[in-house]
Amino acid sequence: MHPSVEAFALAAGLLALGAALVHRFGFPPLPIYLLTGLLVGQRLPVEDLEPLPSLGLLLLLFSVGMEFGPDRLRGLSGKAVQAGFYDALALPLGFLLGLLAGLDLRGAALLAGAIYVSSSAVIVKLIIDLRRAANPESEVVLGVSVLEDLVILVLLALLGGQGLHGFLLSLLLAVVYLGLARLLGPHLAKVMEGLSDELVLLLGAAFTTGTALLFQMAGASVGLGAFLAGSLAASLGLRERFERLFGPVRDLGVALFFLVVGASARDLFQGLAPAVVILALLGLLVKLPLNYLGGARAGLSRKRRLYSALYLVPRGEFNLVLGALAQAQGYPLVAQVAVLLVLLSVPLGALLIRFAPELGRLLLREAPKPRRPARSH
Amino acid sequence: MRVEEAVLPGVGRKYTITVQSGDRIVIVVHHSGKREVQYFEAGEEDEPTMALDLTDEEARELGAILAGVLFHPEAVGDTQSKLGQKVIEWIKVLPGSKLVGKRVGELALPPGAHLLAVDRPGAPLIPNPSPDTLLETGDTLVVAGNREAVEALKRTL
Repeated sequence: MHPSVEAFALAAGLLALGAALVHRFGFPPLPIYLLTGLLVGQRLPVEDLEPLPSLGLLLLLFSVGMEFGPDRLRGLSGKAVQAGFYDALALPLGFLLGLLAGLDLRGAALLAGAIYVSSSAVIVKLIIDLRRAANPESEVVLGVSVLEDLVILVLLALLGGQGLHGFLLSLLLAVVYLGLARLLGPHLAKVMEGLSDELVLLLGAAFTTGTALLFQMAGASVGLGAFLAGSLAASLGLRERFERLFGPVRDLGVALFFLVVGASARDLFQGLAPAVVILALLGLLVKLPLNYLGGARAGLSRKRRLYSALYLVPRGEFNLVLGALAQAQGYPLVAQVAVLLVLLSVPLGALLIRFAPELGRLLLREAPKPRRPARSH
Repeated sequence: MRVEEAVLPGVGRKYTITVQSGDRIVIVVHHSGKREVQYFEAGEEDEPTMALDLTDEEARELGAILAGVLFHPEAVGDTQSKLGQKVIEWIKVLPGSKLVGKRVGELALPPGAHLLAVDRPGAPLIPNPSPDTLLETGDTLVVAGNREAVEALKRTL
């Protein structure tokens, strides 16, 4: 028996145990995967689990690309765009923080990205798990996430490669991809309709991982590749089908990925500088007032503004992409902040969102409204 | 009635329906097929008075009931269901109508209108009625086709 099977059985068992524990309290399971990883990180043979966690991240970014890709821009309300503008003020503020911390321009830009980009994937999961989809603030929050993901794509293209050369390559690849989608789109979509689910699943898997590798070979960001592959699939009208086919595979991979992030966080934080913790906490704090103001611009009530600010706390997939990038480019401080942000914000964000109504009552001191008498007809 | 549609990326679609009285119903159709229905009283912005989760199957059944497919209210008389450009009409044979005593084969159906069934109270539905089916008072003709043809048929009756 290959050692990976043993590792997988152990990991899956731990994840199931964690998910079962929180399920009783109506709490979303994602943060628990991270914490489980942190707790048992020493004993878990992380290396043996590969490639599932890495695939999990790629598929997650692919999904995010499908759901939050450029073609979602048309459906955005003006309200969400205005809220997104306020949200984007976190970029210059994060950049300033980076410069103050003594980073150079590139490092400060990476830090700004890590502070700015919330996790669409985590937010969507939380909204669905906590049954908040029908609320007015969800529409605004998800709209803001669309804008964030697009901004971070540009940032990744700018910073992902080795200087200008890498940026141009990323740009060229992206243009080629989108051009192909334009040209072959209708034809491809027709061909895909006639194929069996199994074949589509295999083609999709090959396409996603292949694109990610192509971008890596070009010296660009792997995450950018997976995201673009997702956007492309969505523009071919394959959104529902891929969601149905890849959903379970992705969820398993993502659960393992978060477990592994938690498990490998310990090594990253050997000799944690106080500056890292301070930067991470400032990063969490800086976005709250911005998103509260953004919620006001979007015409939400005071309570809903607060909710929308809390919803945007979790950082996730793109922070880990940015973290890996920062580590590779020699900014260990930024990498630590990016990963610490995820570790802090996912459990914290989940708690805040879960208890948002109680928090709202506490902070806004709302007197419970008297029930109006039922109208008689 | 006002219907607003919004895309919720990653979740599905949200429909906000404001009815005559000012009450609102918010329906979220999830990618997974789940439906979330929330009801807000008029003037109430924040807290839904009621929330309901439906599976895909339950939602379709409920939709069929609302559309009057299973039972259409007596008081409304003729009702229409939208099927894109096509419509389904229920036309009641009232006492004294010139239809009473006619056979189905004698009906002058305009091109594009089709008689799907005759619904007779207290009897099983007569699908695809044969040309010699005799129409009685109280029958309901279920007619489908493009809008113009069905409207024309209604005028002739």
